[in-house]
This record gives sequence, structure tokens and C-alpha cells, in this order.
Amino acid sequence: MSSRRILSLARRVIRQVLRDRRTVALIVVAPLLILTLGAILFRSTPAPIPLGIVNEDHGITSPVGGTINLGQRIADELAAGDTFTLVALSRNAVDDSLRDGSLQAAIVFPEDFTTQFLDDRQAVLDLRLEGSNPTRSLAISAQVTQAAMRSLASLAGTAMGAFPVAQAGEGKLPVTLHATYLFGGQEFDAMDFVAPVYIAFLGMFFVFLLACVAFLRERSQGTMERLAATPATRADIVLGYMLGLGLFAVIQVALILFYTVWVLKIHYLGSLGLLFLVITLLAVAGVTMGILASAFARTEFQVIQFIPLVIFPQALLGGLFWEVADLPAYLRPFAYLMPLYYANRAMRDVMLKGWGLAEIWPNLAILAGFIAALVILSALMMRREVA
Amino acid sequence: MTADDVVQTNDLHKRFGPIHAIDGVTLSVRRGEIYGLLGPNGSGKTTLIRLLLGLLRPTSGSIRLLGEGVPNKAILGQVGYMTQASALYEELTVRENVAFFAEMCGRKDRAWMDEVIELVDLQDRSRSPVRTLSGGLRQRTSLACTLAHRPRLLLLDEPTVGVDPQLRATFWSYFRRLADSGVTLIVSSHVMDEAERCDRLGFMRQGKLLAEGTAAELRRQTGTSTLEEAFLQFAAAGSTEGGSR
Repeated sequence: MSSRRILSLARRVIRQVLRDRRTVALIVVAPLLILTLGAILFRSTPAPIPLGIVNEDHGITSPVGGTINLGQRIADELAAGDTFTLVALSRNAVDDSLRDGSLQAAIVFPEDFTTQFLDDRQAVLDLRLEGSNPTRSLAISAQVTQAAMRSLASLAGTAMGAFPVAQAGEGKLPVTLHATYLFGGQEFDAMDFVAPVYIAFLGMFFVFLLACVAFLRERSQGTMERLAATPATRADIVLGYMLGLGLFAVIQVALILFYTVWVLKIHYLGSLGLLFLVITLLAVAGVTMGILASAFARTEFQVIQFIPLVIFPQALLGGLFWEVADLPAYLRPFAYLMPLYYANRAMRDVMLKGWGLAEIWPNLAILAGFIAALVILSALMMRREVA
Repeated sequence: MTADDVVQTNDLHKRFGPIHAIDGVTLSVRRGEIYGLLGPNGSGKTTLIRLLLGLLRPTSGSIRLLGEGVPNKAILGQVGYMTQASALYEELTVRENVAFFAEMCGRKDRAWMDEVIELVDLQDRSRSPVRTLSGGLRQRTSLACTLAHRPRLLLLDEPTVGVDPQLRATFWSYFRRLADSGVTLIVSSHVMDEAERCDRLGFMRQGKLLAEGTAAELRRQTGTSTLEEAFLQFAAAGSTEGGSR
């Protein structure tokens, strides 16, 4: 061991890193970028959840004076917080609104809601949940129960206190939640919700790196120059890569699907074939993204740098950890630029809602559009190499 | 200019920013000829070859290859290009590399591939992955890939670098055989003794074609006994001329 040699070595290493300006920039920029994104996402106040209110409650007119409408009171209590934005609608419109995403949940107060409460001293809340996101379903259920409890407690000081009421059972809460689910259900857990997106992300991530490195090596080992001097065109090369690496993407997708469905026992609705199609499309997009990205890398180390710069933001913004609808409005457009976002939507629609091709085709069409655009872009980026 | 001209350039210029890499090269190479591009490193040999292939666009001037204008992807199927550094797929075997380049040019002929692999004396290693080969063996594989599709025109950029003298002799006798069968070859080199084997030579320096002719002619013109001395004479003359311009 020699301190002089160690110093010389260290100096050489420092010099090499400094010569690679991109690495220096990355060391500075990447952690800040990721931290900033994280801070924005963790600190963002969630957008109010659209909650439907079907209030058919006739209420009751007290002998002492005044009308009491319990349904209205609970609704007012729910509206008071900033958790929900209330939407009044009719009973028939509930499921349609849940399906098209304009509502996350709806409460139905039947016409005898107030009288029923007076008779039983028990409010039975009929909560209809969209249900595909179990974490969110739980949160909504808890919030609704709490709001109902608060509004019942406030009754004590009103004319309601004068009503003769049957004694509720000991220790029994005055509010019972009767939750029904449009999609999913209570047996769906958080993993069931995350799995579709996870699968899609993994399907894309590895082939992206594979394509990026393979294409980079084509250039660094000089074979791109050789290919350029054959009749092979840029389109030939990009499509050849897509087909070749696409095979591995398909094998990997099949493996991931098999494992999640049969080994990890993820709940899913919809057809496996359709899931396979969605992930395969995304994986092919991943191949073309890799080819495109390789044009911006000179070394394999620079390919690794794409993980914090290209892959990680996609995970953060494309719906892997946060639902895109919950992102701050100024971040959402970035999600719309990511193929992952459309794959995620299609995956969740199929796995959690059981939707078919008829419903998810717009997302597939957008994915196909991304692939076409990426093929053209990466062929254009090869201009310098293949005349 | 005759119908026999396989390669023709007319007042070719290529600039990279302030660098004049190719400076007014007018060249014609006949069918079945071995044309040697001779010059030191950085004299523009590789740039000229890449221009001929259409891998670079000339700043000005024109190129015709096998009777067609350049760039033209279709004619590249009849051209064999050997790069200076061996450009091969490391994971693939020798034979797989040869087959791949033949397929890229739209021609795969098993018997011919065998012949080509035998020519570079790699029949025993044809199933070895390229990554296990030494530098010389790679260079041989690279030549085999260049010949794999029976090209009519060969552009070889320093093909004998790292090849031992015995194999170099084999290469050259094979180049001669190809030329006799009507294949045209442009071979760049900075090794003067190889130049003796070419039908015609072009001395290159600083992007200019200083002189052309057979080895004997070039020696006679300068009254020197070796090509090396002849080159130095032309280079000196070129410098003074270049200085006055």
C-alpha cells in the first residue's frame, strides 16, 4: 500500500468523473429532482373526493316545532370538511357516475331514514363504493361514519332530544355502515390494487434497460457503422430490435402474469389475454423508449443514469405509487406523456373492474400511438449513424 | 471516365467545422483494380471511404459507385466494407457473424460462407464466440464478414492491421484473386510495403490526393528507390504548394 499511489488513483478517478459532465450534472440534479417530486407528492393535499348524495329522506316534523331531516344533516356535516365535494343525484344515476369515475362513492338516504333512526336509534348508512381502490374505500367508509356520528351527536341539543326513542343496545354504535361495492369488494386488498400497475411497470422497466444497453453496444462496438454500410435501413434496424427484444418482453410478461395470478394469488377480474396484450404493448413501448434513450448515452454507465431520470419519475407520476388523479394539477400533464399511465389505466380497468376490449381500447390505441411515435423518433435519432 | 469505372469522385470536399478533412479529391477506380489509398493517420483515408459508402454526406462534389449516385442503400448490397477496428457481435460465433452480415445484404450462400471462413483460416474456430478470439482472429472474422455476400466492390480500411505476416500474404493473394475475377478493391493502408501489391496507388495527405499511379511510376516520377521516399517527396511538394494557396 502506498499513500502516493492511492492519491494518484483518487485524482485520476476524480478527473474521469469531472470529464463526464453528464455524470457531474446527474450527481447534482438527480437527488434534488427526486426529492422535490417526493416532497410535492407527499405534501400535496389530496383533491376532495367526489361523493354522491341521494337524499330521499322525508325527515320528520317535531311536535315542539321545526323539521328534522337527518339525511340533510349528515350531508351538511360531510360537506363541512374538505375531504369530500358533494354531488346531489338520483338513485338511478349512482352506478353510472361511479363507473365513469365522476363519483368515488355515494350515500343513499331512503325516505324513512329519519323515522327509522328514531325508531331504532340506529342509523343505517347505505354507502355505495366504486371499490377498485381498497385503501380509498376504507378511508371513505371511515370518514363517512365519523361525519354521521358527529351529526348525530349534535342532535342532543336539538328538538330531537325531545323525541321518545327506543333504547339502543349497550355499546352499540349509533351508526352502521352498509357498504356495497361496484367493483372489487372487501376481499380485494391493497396489493390487488397495486398489482396491475406493478406488473405493467416491471414489464416495461427491464426491457427498457435491455434495449438501451443492446443498442448502445451496437454503436460502441462499431457494428452500427457496419450495418449502416449494408442495405439495412433505419426502420429495418428499429423494427428488428423491437421484434427480437419483444420476444423476451413477451416471455417476461407471461412469467410475471403467471406468478402474480397463480403464485401471489392476486384477485383479478377481466381476461388474462387482454392483460397480456396490455403489458406486451407497454413492453414494446419500453423497447422503443430504450432505443431512443440509447441515442443520448455514450456509455453503459450513462444508461444506468436513466433509471433516476427516466424510470423513477415514471414510477412516481405514472400511477405506481400515487393515483394520477391525486397528483397536483401541474404534474398531471407529465403523466399524460407517459405510456405507463395509459397501461396502468387499462390494467386497472381490466383487473379491478373486469372491463373488456370495448371499454379499454382507447388506452390501447394511445399505447400503439406511442409505439409508432417512438419508432419514428428513434429512427430519426439514428440519422447520424445510418445515412 | 469510362464505363469500366466502378468508383468515381469529382472534386470531393468534406469539412467538419474548421477542418478540411477531404480537400478536392477526384478519383476513379476501374473494375478489377486494386487501388491503394496510402497516407499517414489522419490524412483522410477513412473519411474518404465513409463518403464513398454514403455514411457521410460530402460538403461538395459528387460520387458515383457502381454506376449509381451516392447515397444509395440498394447498391450497398454489392459493396463490402471492412472497418478499421473489427466490428463484430461479441456473443455470436464467427460463423453467426458472417451469416448475419450476408443476410443483411440479402445473400446467404452456405458453400460460399464456408469458403470465406476457410480463406481466413478460421474453420476450426467457426463455432467460437467472437469474445473468445484474439485481436488477429477478430480481424480475420471481420474480413470474412466483409466478403460474406460476394460483393463486387470492396472498401477495406486498413484490413491487415494486427494480422501476422504469413496471413497478410494470404490476404493479399486472395485480394489479387478477387480482383482477377472482376471485383474492385480500394484498400487503405499506412504500411508502404503493402502498397507494392496494389495496381494503382493514391498518396493522401491532409485530405488531398497528392499523387496517383503505379508504385513504379511514383518512384520514377520522384527518382526515388522506395515508395516511402516517394511519398515524402510528394508530401514536401504538397506542403509548399499548399502554403502558396
